[in-house]
Amino acid sequence: MDARERYFWDLTGYLVVKGVLSKEEVARANDIVDRYWDRVEVGGSTARDSVAFAGTGRPMMPGILEFPKPDCEPFREMLAHPVLVKYLNVMCDKGFRLDHGPMFIVSNKGTAGHTMHGNGEPHRPHVAYHHQNGEPWVGGVTVAWQLHDCEEGMGGFACVPSSHKAMFPTPKGVHTGDDDMGLIKQPVVEAGDVIFFMDSAQAHGATPWKLDTTRRSILFKYTARTCVRSGLAQEVSPPEIYWDREIVEGMTAEQLSVMYGPYSNHRGRVPFLEVCDDGVVRIEA
Amino acid sequence: MGNSLYTVSEEEKYFFDLRGYLVVRGALSADEVKTCNDAIDHYGDEIRTRSIEDGGLARGSSALTGQEGRRELTGMLGWPEPYREPFRKLLVHPVVVSRLNEFSGKGFRLDHGPLLISAHKGAEGHTLHGGGEPFSQSVWYHQQNGKIFCRGITVAWQLTDVNEGDGGFACVPGSHKTAEPTPAEVRSVEDDMGLVYQPVMKAGDVLFFAETMTHGTLPWRSDGERRSVLYKYASRAAARAVGKFFTPEDRYGDWVGELTPEQQAVLYGPGVHHSGQLPLLESDGETTRVV
Repeated sequence: MDARERYFWDLTGYLVVKGVLSKEEVARANDIVDRYWDRVEVGGSTARDSVAFAGTGRPMMPGILEFPKPDCEPFREMLAHPVLVKYLNVMCDKGFRLDHGPMFIVSNKGTAGHTMHGNGEPHRPHVAYHHQNGEPWVGGVTVAWQLHDCEEGMGGFACVPSSHKAMFPTPKGVHTGDDDMGLIKQPVVEAGDVIFFMDSAQAHGATPWKLDTTRRSILFKYTARTCVRSGLAQEVSPPEIYWDREIVEGMTAEQLSVMYGPYSNHRGRVPFLEVCDDGVVRIEA
Repeated sequence: MGNSLYTVSEEEKYFFDLRGYLVVRGALSADEVKTCNDAIDHYGDEIRTRSIEDGGLARGSSALTGQEGRRELTGMLGWPEPYREPFRKLLVHPVVVSRLNEFSGKGFRLDHGPLLISAHKGAEGHTLHGGGEPFSQSVWYHQQNGKIFCRGITVAWQLTDVNEGDGGFACVPGSHKTAEPTPAEVRSVEDDMGLVYQPVMKAGDVLFFAETMTHGTLPWRSDGERRSVLYKYASRAAARAVGKFFTPEDRYGDWVGELTPEQQAVLYGPGVHHSGQLPLLESDGETTRVV
């Protein structure tokens, strides 16, 4: 990662590395995708209350690491690809790990965009960006492998450059894209390129897909060694799984609440504690 | 800082942010302290004394060396009733919940521990460790828009008195924010530049400290026994201990055996206390290999 790339990454919160996959490698992966197309699952719209990002549900192709051999191999090769390792060792430090994914987005023309999510404020410790004594560090990086070309204005990944350093919350119009203040950028990519972006430290999302050809972007969600977001972490988080039986057996609900394993994306499944004026600790309503 | 035991005051926030530690006085009654001590006495045979043969925790420091190692006991949360109860109460004691909700955020969790640290007169110290530089992701201290985000906090319950000059826990106040490395002679306390501080505490007090603050232990000089029980908490999505689900096989199942060692390396679970189990990767952009 050279000085220009470090500067760009620190300043904007994303980086496009060109030509990581050869044309042959892209063609091989796309051929496999074509053969497994009947596995595509269409989810709900990710545009939420946005007018600018409105469209149809997001199609995804699950399970690519577990395709039968040899069809899984191009995707497994992405896991610890030399280019990826070279950059993530700088961005997240050595010991980075796959937190969840891969998510394979295969949008069609008209697929909705995704509202901008993440930002420097409020601070999210598990994905936040920090720079100290010449070294960048970020808790979460998504690596998005591009199997398609996408010119300016055609949709797909988009972000608010530099928002990983924002100290104010994202305005609603920027979040929805309905009044983005000219801040949302959709990087131009070619098949074989890789986008690195600061996941949820930076405000990011997607604009609606406008091309006749499908969007094909494979997102691997990495974190630094000590950061935990989702994936398998949530399956092993319940106290009775995460700890040995005798440690948690017979604990009160309040005691159990601090025994959940680490992960951020719990959507209310991890109970929080509060202290009443009289010193009673209880589960927060 | 006179205020309620069960709410965190603006003065406490100021003090913790400035110094990196906080002592809350009189969190336990004398009876509660006795209950804890009695339970520990019941398991007294299981207390282990650390060896000092290989330099011990003093790591060769002339200021920290001692005649014996510190004494340790674990497993309190899993003891049979009634011995485990006082330690389970400490786990989510209102003094702890009120401070950690503020310093680490709601959803904080026990990462590892509790650990009893005990010492008899003459026990060695522990070289000072931690500090704001180099950056330590697992215990990062950050403050933004008036709110504290401390990823790793140790809560140390005092079950015996610690008077001035007794030794025991010591720290470099403010060092959780330093951007320069700690001089070796400060870590060894052989020339501490007047920076190392040993808080005075009574049995029943509770000490909170940011793990990223430079801290350690001075040799124990009191005739009485040192007893401090340490609970190691982390913010919701931070991990230091690796837990039971660390290896790729434990997390993903047998299919990962088909992957190369380099591919498996990115599928390990989170945490830094892996005792060298974790393969690290390097790449020149052309080839990935395990270091």
